[in-house]
Amino acid sequence: MSRFVYLIREALSSLRRNALIVIGAIMAVFISLALAFGAQVVNELLKLNTRAWQDGTHVVAFLYDEGTDNVPPGAHEQLLAEVRSWEEVEDARLVTKAEAWQEFQRIFENDPQMLDALRDPTVLPASIRIELEDIRLHQTTRYRLEQQQQVVRRVNTASQSIEQLQNLSDVLQILGLGLAVVLGVAAVVLIANTIQLAIYARREEVAIMKLVGASNWYIRVPFLLEGLIEGLVGAALAVFAVWIASNNLAKAGESLELFRLDISNQWFFRSGLVVLVFGAAAGVLGSLLGLSRYLREADGTGPDIPKGF
Amino acid sequence: MIRLENVTKVYEGGTVAVNDVSLDIQKGEFVFLVGASGSGKSTLIRLMLRDEPVTRGRIWVAGKDITKLPKWKIPYLRRSVGTVFQDYKLLPNKTVFENVAFALEVLGRPRSVIGPQVNQVLELVGLADKSQRYPRQLSGGEQQRVSVARAFVNRPPIMLCDEPTGNLDPKTSVEIMRLLDRINRTGTTIVMATHDHAIVDAMKRRVVALEHGRVIRDEVAGRYERTSEEE
Repeated sequence: MSRFVYLIREALSSLRRNALIVIGAIMAVFISLALAFGAQVVNELLKLNTRAWQDGTHVVAFLYDEGTDNVPPGAHEQLLAEVRSWEEVEDARLVTKAEAWQEFQRIFENDPQMLDALRDPTVLPASIRIELEDIRLHQTTRYRLEQQQQVVRRVNTASQSIEQLQNLSDVLQILGLGLAVVLGVAAVVLIANTIQLAIYARREEVAIMKLVGASNWYIRVPFLLEGLIEGLVGAALAVFAVWIASNNLAKAGESLELFRLDISNQWFFRSGLVVLVFGAAAGVLGSLLGLSRYLREADGTGPDIPKGF
Repeated sequence: MIRLENVTKVYEGGTVAVNDVSLDIQKGEFVFLVGASGSGKSTLIRLMLRDEPVTRGRIWVAGKDITKLPKWKIPYLRRSVGTVFQDYKLLPNKTVFENVAFALEVLGRPRSVIGPQVNQVLELVGLADKSQRYPRQLSGGEQQRVSVARAFVNRPPIMLCDEPTGNLDPKTSVEIMRLLDRINRTGTTIVMATHDHAIVDAMKRRVVALEHGRVIRDEVAGRYERTSEEE
């Protein structure tokens, strides 16, 4: 226990002594992770918005009336059951002629002219409203419905723009993930570099430690703790900065009706934890990489004691 | 206590630093390794500390063949061998007390043991009153005494000293030698590389003279000068 306390004390005192290098490492992690986390926030906003626009009906199949046009009674329900069995269909419901009229009346309740114009409510067809698992599958559903010529009068599908938005969102998500990976690697490399600088500045010290019999792990632990603390502090600053920026963005976007700019605190908490863990891991990994050069030659071929005989 | 059997060390580039050296050093002996610069004294010390691997031959330290020691066991070897160097090798950001205590911290000794043990050895080297000073606040002789205290605090059976008086004036050198002599009298084996004629002549201990990496003389109660006479 006293040994562990000693190693922590060593790490903290080293952080104090090498303040400038430490600040450099923290800034490196902060910038990399703030950019990576920011990219994730933009992605989440895109996802939220595309999801909001996609909610509801994606495909509408207008049907011929039952009992006429060679459509036997019960054909609508039969088709509904079949549609529901298709794997790409999330949900489907039948809107009868009567319900269609009620819907029409609800939509145009403030427009008596429209209501007057529709003299015969029976002209409104029954329909099946379909919600898809993935909006990009609407062509498949359309094709399947069009095969049901006897029952299906016309098929309307979600506009191409939503599909394009979905594609754009996917591309941005991949880009965001790529960016996060690249910036994450950059954070590790920057920490490794910084730790290597710190070790270079203290190479004599490391050599003396080895001389009196300190094991590689004994030398390593304070540096690993340093890296861990630098990574954690940098990541915490990044999460905090992005959270503040996102909150301000949400406030500024309150008046916008078309877009949602507010992300739940729950998402922030979950993703923030991931960023913190990543920051800590990047710190430890960076330290290990930075140290490996100095410690791998512990069998006595390393640059320990100045050579000369 | 230490045994070298046909030890050869060739550095990269082909420089032969130690050439077929065989030596037997008994427990409690005080042995001077003497010779001009480049004769192989320091390399021999480094080989005994496994700071360099041998090219050929075998070395036993405290009954263990250290030429076959796996990497992870090297720290254990170094914990049983105290080392003193010409440039003191003290940690500049630690006080005298902390520098000496460091050798025990590495072993995982509890604080309750470290404190008394460090104070005791600081008394021995005459630096008890300067325990809270930093190395930069001490003279060369005092820094070397801290280094000796650090090497001895763990009561190792062997101490390897590489030119411990190389940076000191004659008077301070005598102080350090008195200290090493006291430590030797406790039963600690001491091997010291030096080219300080006066010290070797005054101490009258075993002298192993080296030239171009070879042992050219091994004499009980020897003198430094005889090296050149025998050539």
